[in-house]
Amino acid sequence: MTRLLALVWPELREPDAEIGPFERMLDALDDLSPRVEPVDAGVALVDVTGLEPTWGPERRVAARAVMLARSVAPLRVRCGIGENRWLATLAARLARFERPDAPAALRILERAELHDLPLSLLPADPAMRQRFALFGLTQMHQLADLPRSAVGAQFGAAGERLQALARGHDPRPIVARRRPARVAASTSFETPIDGIGAVSLTLRRLAAELCDRLRERHRAPGRAVLELRLEDAPSLRVEQPFPQPALEPDWIARLLLSRLEAAVRARLRSCRPAELTAREERERPPGWPPGAPDDNRQPRSEPNVAVSSGPGQFPSDEEIFEPRVVAVRLVLDRLSDPATRQLPAFEARTARWEELRWSLERMRHRFGEGRLWRASADRPTAALPEHRVRLTDIGA
Amino acid sequence: MPTDAAVSPSLANALESLRDRGLGLRRGSEAPMPERTRPSVPSGHPTLDAALGSGGWPRGALALLDAPVGCGATTLALGSLAAVQEQGGLTAWLDLDGTFDPAVAARLGVGLEWLLLVRPHDAGEAVELAAWLGRSTLIDALVLDLGERSVPDRRALDRLAALLARVGTTAALVLAPSGRTMVSGAAGVRVVLRRTAWLSVGRDLVGQRVDASVERHRWALAGGSAELDLWFGEGRRIDPLVAGMARPRLIEAARPALRVVGA
Repeated sequence: MTRLLALVWPELREPDAEIGPFERMLDALDDLSPRVEPVDAGVALVDVTGLEPTWGPERRVAARAVMLARSVAPLRVRCGIGENRWLATLAARLARFERPDAPAALRILERAELHDLPLSLLPADPAMRQRFALFGLTQMHQLADLPRSAVGAQFGAAGERLQALARGHDPRPIVARRRPARVAASTSFETPIDGIGAVSLTLRRLAAELCDRLRERHRAPGRAVLELRLEDAPSLRVEQPFPQPALEPDWIARLLLSRLEAAVRARLRSCRPAELTAREERERPPGWPPGAPDDNRQPRSEPNVAVSSGPGQFPSDEEIFEPRVVAVRLVLDRLSDPATRQLPAFEARTARWEELRWSLERMRHRFGEGRLWRASADRPTAALPEHRVRLTDIGA
Repeated sequence: MPTDAAVSPSLANALESLRDRGLGLRRGSEAPMPERTRPSVPSGHPTLDAALGSGGWPRGALALLDAPVGCGATTLALGSLAAVQEQGGLTAWLDLDGTFDPAVAARLGVGLEWLLLVRPHDAGEAVELAAWLGRSTLIDALVLDLGERSVPDRRALDRLAALLARVGTTAALVLAPSGRTMVSGAAGVRVVLRRTAWLSVGRDLVGQRVDASVERHRWALAGGSAELDLWFGEGRRIDPLVAGMARPRLIEAARPALRVVGA
């Protein structure tokens, strides 16, 4: 028998609500069940069929779902459990918070309990409600007990569907969302920044953001793709495949940056105009072998060509500057489960933290908040010691 | 000296069982027993690892760092955590008094991203949290800093020691300046630290030289000692030349800190 858990976050249902945490909540719910459906903004359905032997009674399963969601954002949530989508969502709708400050409300609704509920709970349009009232139908059982043919004759196909709901039948299956095959993040600069090296901090931040998102989903990328949109030149695109799935933003950023610099050099070498080559040959010191690389001038002369106004046009001194980057886009794809042991340089111990996370959660429940902390050195050069590190409550 | 024939079978069986349990009893005519190997984590000081006889702090045991305040027990514990992290281990620090300074730990080589900081409310909770961490089997080394005022319950410590020995993955270092007598009964290893000299560069004190003697070891031969140079927080990471430049300044004989004038 199918059991579905409906989760409704009232604060996310508001018209002007920020629904950014919703996607991350769904990612967190992946830990509970592989079948999670985002029904609407702030409404999710989770297939909890067969989870009782693992997590215990349905109340505990629901409590776990709430805990996972609240680890992303501490929003109040209504939970409902039922046999199908209709019963689960109706149960969530009927759930009442026991206290004003209670974080969650749970209601388990069985089909027999529909009997005495008002008919106004059905998702009917106003005209249909008016016709139901005209016929004196106010309770679920009054509509459910009517012959289906009579309901179809009087109210049409929509009436038959509503009668099926009143009887507790809902054939619509849960449509589990697919895990993304790639994640991407991008940023653009209002004022273009000069030089490839200047994007390193941005690249590191994007990589860290994407790695955090993937870590929450227990996924790791097998390839990174970096695209740089330049102001006066075609975009640059580099790829960095990983021998094994990696979740280290520092190394990902470093590898991409080195690839980027190599790509810039290769492009400039390929589109070097003949005039520049001739001038370099003329200016070459006497005794210098023709065709040999001039290491002292190479870094300065190469970027000029990338931003020159056209092929074959010799750049003037005013055009001597680094490529100007307008936007950066980082894509991590080929997602798979993170490897326990990766490259020696990658030393990904994230899986151990993930294992430890369960123990830490149990400890947090046992001892309460404010016990488990992680320290991070945010400003190691700050003058005061208390400003050099930041403590983060793991349980918060 | 009784010969083998003179030893009754029941006594021989009892001796064999004691040997199996590693209690180290042997008759004088026999060759020394090979020491039982026990997995360990490094202490960060090869000389101390050699003195411990087990290659470092034994896993699955409580190790008491018995030292007066200021004699380098915290520095030694931080160095041990850094050494464990260098081998890929996860570490934890249970900070009862709230005196743990992550900045100092980072300067002494501890990777904060692989350090779990636990702040219990009392000594009993600290012991219980240590047991939870040990039971998770994912923490390689933890430091139980009981502070200067807290004295844990002896029975709780015994339970913690038994649990750690049963799980066998976590090495627990205990810092308990005030409860050392209580902890030493439950600890499988007891290392006494005694300052022998200050290390100075010119007029600046940059560290201290400490004599670490293994007073008790349940799984190896006790009695070893090592001379450790413990550098203050700024020393080891900031300036690697400090170790070569420092000169020991011997500590003078004990003299009264306060002289009564006119007595």
